[in-house]
Amino acid sequence: MVELRAHEQKILSALEKFGGTATVEELIAECGFPDAAVMRAALTLKEKDLVKIYAEQQTQLRLTSEGEHHAKNGLPERRLIKAIAALGGAANLNQAAEKAGLEPQFKQIALGWAIRKKWAIYDSATNTVRIADPRLHQVVIPEENDEALLTFLSARQQTTLGDLTPELQSAVETLKKRKLLTVEPKTKRKLEITHAGLHAATRRATAAEITQLTPELIITGKWRNGKLQKYNIQAPVAKTWPGKKHPYLSFLEEVRMKLVQLGFKEMTGTNVETAFFNFDALYTPQDHPAREPSDIYYVKSPVYGDISKYKTAVEHVKETHENGWKTGSTGWHSTYSIREAERLILRGHGTCLSARTLLSKDLELPSRYFSIARVYRPEVIDKTHLSEFNQVEGIVVDEHLTLRDLLGVLEKFAREIAGADKVRFKPDYFPFTEPSVELSAYKEGYGWVEFGGSGIFRPEVTLPLGVQVPVIAWGLGVDRLFMMRAGIDDIRCIFSQDLDWLRRKQVA
Amino acid sequence: MPTIDVDLGELEKLLGVVYRGDVEKLDADLAFVKGEVKLYNRQEGIASIEIKDTNRPDLWSVEGLARVLRGYLGIAKGLKEYVVGESVVDVSVDSRLRTIRPFMGCAVVKNVALSDTVIRGLMHLQDKLDQTYGRNRQKTSIGLYDYSLIVPPLSYKVVKPEAVRFVPLGFSESLSLAEILEQHPKGIEYGSIVKSHEVYPIIMDSHNKVLSFPPIINSNDLGRVTAETRDVLVEVTGTVHETVLNTLKLVALALADRGGRVFAATVRYESDGLKVVTPDFRSRLVELNVDYTNKILGLRLSAKRIAELLLTAGFGVESVSVESVGVLVPCYRVDVMHPVDLVEDVAVAYGYNNIAPVWRELPTTGCVKPEQRLLDVARELLVGLGFQEVLTYNLTNPETLFDRMNCEKTRVVEVANPKVVTMTCLRNWLLPSLMEFLSSNQSVEFPQRIFELGKVTLLDESKETKTRDEDWLAAVTSHSAAGFTEIKSALDTFFMNFGVNWQIRETVHPSFIEGRVGAVMVNGVEVGVVGEVYPGVLEAWKLENPVAAFEINLEKIIKNKQGKLG
Repeated sequence: MVELRAHEQKILSALEKFGGTATVEELIAECGFPDAAVMRAALTLKEKDLVKIYAEQQTQLRLTSEGEHHAKNGLPERRLIKAIAALGGAANLNQAAEKAGLEPQFKQIALGWAIRKKWAIYDSATNTVRIADPRLHQVVIPEENDEALLTFLSARQQTTLGDLTPELQSAVETLKKRKLLTVEPKTKRKLEITHAGLHAATRRATAAEITQLTPELIITGKWRNGKLQKYNIQAPVAKTWPGKKHPYLSFLEEVRMKLVQLGFKEMTGTNVETAFFNFDALYTPQDHPAREPSDIYYVKSPVYGDISKYKTAVEHVKETHENGWKTGSTGWHSTYSIREAERLILRGHGTCLSARTLLSKDLELPSRYFSIARVYRPEVIDKTHLSEFNQVEGIVVDEHLTLRDLLGVLEKFAREIAGADKVRFKPDYFPFTEPSVELSAYKEGYGWVEFGGSGIFRPEVTLPLGVQVPVIAWGLGVDRLFMMRAGIDDIRCIFSQDLDWLRRKQVA
Repeated sequence: MPTIDVDLGELEKLLGVVYRGDVEKLDADLAFVKGEVKLYNRQEGIASIEIKDTNRPDLWSVEGLARVLRGYLGIAKGLKEYVVGESVVDVSVDSRLRTIRPFMGCAVVKNVALSDTVIRGLMHLQDKLDQTYGRNRQKTSIGLYDYSLIVPPLSYKVVKPEAVRFVPLGFSESLSLAEILEQHPKGIEYGSIVKSHEVYPIIMDSHNKVLSFPPIINSNDLGRVTAETRDVLVEVTGTVHETVLNTLKLVALALADRGGRVFAATVRYESDGLKVVTPDFRSRLVELNVDYTNKILGLRLSAKRIAELLLTAGFGVESVSVESVGVLVPCYRVDVMHPVDLVEDVAVAYGYNNIAPVWRELPTTGCVKPEQRLLDVARELLVGLGFQEVLTYNLTNPETLFDRMNCEKTRVVEVANPKVVTMTCLRNWLLPSLMEFLSSNQSVEFPQRIFELGKVTLLDESKETKTRDEDWLAAVTSHSAAGFTEIKSALDTFFMNFGVNWQIRETVHPSFIEGRVGAVMVNGVEVGVVGEVYPGVLEAWKLENPVAAFEINLEKIIKNKQGKLG
């Protein structure tokens, strides 16, 4: 005996009622199931040889929103010609359009088609439109096929090409070109009940089927009386979107934890910084190109911050810039303005935090520090540039540090954070470090990637800040590392506004 | 970072090395001078080379690159000697220039072998020096002339803007200085350097022929150097004497590398009678201590070895003792300010990759910033409540912060030099960023629940930077049935798990619907807002689904909480 589910049973009954055959649409209307449910049931019935399915290719016609508009109000050329007729058979185009109440976007269309249909003649010199047949302003121009088709279509929900008379069919192309209707191929399915089907339909269902198991069924024990319906477990289901952490921020968290494990202490600072800490204390001369408005954001108001708290350090930095002070350097030989040092900027790198830490009375010896800082540059955002991004930077402070230790720090980062197999060092340049080193890391499958810049702070940096021991300064190219891991080549993805991407991004 | 265009054929000629377009080999060699090939035009044989060191103007010409590379490539080690012949030109400098553009340097280079390629290179060097080292001609600017057309002595003086006329380079008729500032492209570009003065600088020869109107433009008659020019006069004017002299040296040396013989000029300052003979190609002697070097590098190099390495790097060595090396620093190494600069060159010549890295064990304890743990807890909770974390920019604009949020404008941190209209200030609350995010995701499946834990920047006169940053937390839910109850419930669950007692107090907020918004109160202090977003705001963001949101000052809440615990 063939088992039937409730849906299938209902469809068989409906088919019986329709006299053995019905379209899918008819069945949807009769049974009240959604399209997909009817089709699912139909396919199962077909497998059981209870129904046959016939497919017929049809061309479905549908009015566009503009088409609907014209169906309701009349074609623009019809509205125009009516207005001209009412104005005595000839009129200024603008006046006629106004009289017709034509929307501005339809004015030229109306004129064009009125001419094309030979209803009107247009004199561009005077901007006058005149009805072509002088008698016509008295006679009604008969409805043409395109207008008839519009009316026909607007009156029906769905229409296929086959439903149209040859006259109406001839107007389909015209309306399609005018983008008033769309033509889509559609498969129309019909179901026909088989003998076995008829038999099954007439047989009474012996037990009610249970679809959703409800608390009531459980409490009352009624579930025993019914049969728990089998589901199609292969059927696709809706997606569930969970809450997740942002992939880039999770990555930074991972970097943060690795640095902590390596003995680094986190430093923090503010988005707005004084030029003193961002530049001067880092031995960047006051006329350095990096301080041009094209390279750093200046705050509009207030213009100046307060560095009076650091009077001694500021004096020493000033002298160092001007003549080297006690650092053994020649200095920049440039005049140094304390006012300029007070300028407020949006920090351009995280190194200003290291400068603040070196000057702080809480500086420990030996010590290791790091920061994850949002920094700002006046860049136009593109595939490789952001106007604001995060920098991971830090310092190591100890009496006995050498270039070898610096290379050791970089190698450690490359292996621990980037998971690199090999490292390579190249000379680099920063105004505030000497020697300076660029780190490249090699990872199987990724190749060589520049992963960091670093150096030993110049004596012109450390001595004015009151630090007598070597300080290793380092910065890591974490954005590039993240992009590599996430498989993205557009840096804008870090600040992606694409919710779908965030939802689908794998976290494992 | 300056990027210079180098004719590879010229570099090969000067170095005696053949690259045959092998960019990798060139790149490897350039690493010694912190250079990198950014682009190579194979057809024209021009390599665009980025020189990372902004303080090495001696590397900004093909001649300069060859000068330094030859040591590293083992072609010729040690100091390359340059000599200056006797003074052939006198230049007087008007005392009235003192407040305008006081300094001048001058040289004559005779018998230079110029070709169009060489001249192109020279112009490129002049341009880079003017732009970068000369800070857009503010600090220094260079002029080159056909010496055979000039009758010394020269006078560098000032004239009234209308007093003198001459034909500027590239023009056919003569203009006054004032007209040059109005009409000549260079006058328009650099005019601001002199415009504020009543008189303008000018350089003339003894027949009162104009050489140039510095720092704007040369004369079309005298200031044009061609492949036929044999003897070149170089002059540099500027505001910083040392930079003027350095710039002059760099140009004169490039010409000397092209076979020219350099002759001096005597510059006499009328203000104090001081006479300066330019250029000066003498080296400086710097003592480099062996211990000092080894202490920085972590190596045990002998004085002899250090001396060898310095020769490779193009320095001269005057003396070698056990403790120190007497280093002759060539005149063009204007970057050497401190012995540490020599130490780096020792390391580069030694090879960074020949130095064994060492990880020093130090008794330091790592830790995150004090508030980090609770910030992470907050994020965990929001994730658990089904909100997707997002990351948006701190830089935004007043339209986003206020207009679209139906709010009155308040003062925020604005930047003086925005690059794009959408990024003109720092945000003072997070919700607008989340609304913007929703707005970009209207075609993505609903419900949409997102949150951000980020910094807001507020003006604060009491702080050093006149601002303070705070960690705030905002969350929004948007779907066809989103509303006050849902968001209040989320916030309540958040606070319960965060261990914070909170109350809600009636309030009004222009971004929210009246009667569906509350002030978030913790210990009697207002720390945020929760409510259903006002439909006018939804319209402004072109959102079709209701939005309910909360935004809280997490920093204040954490401080409050930690205070209570302590």
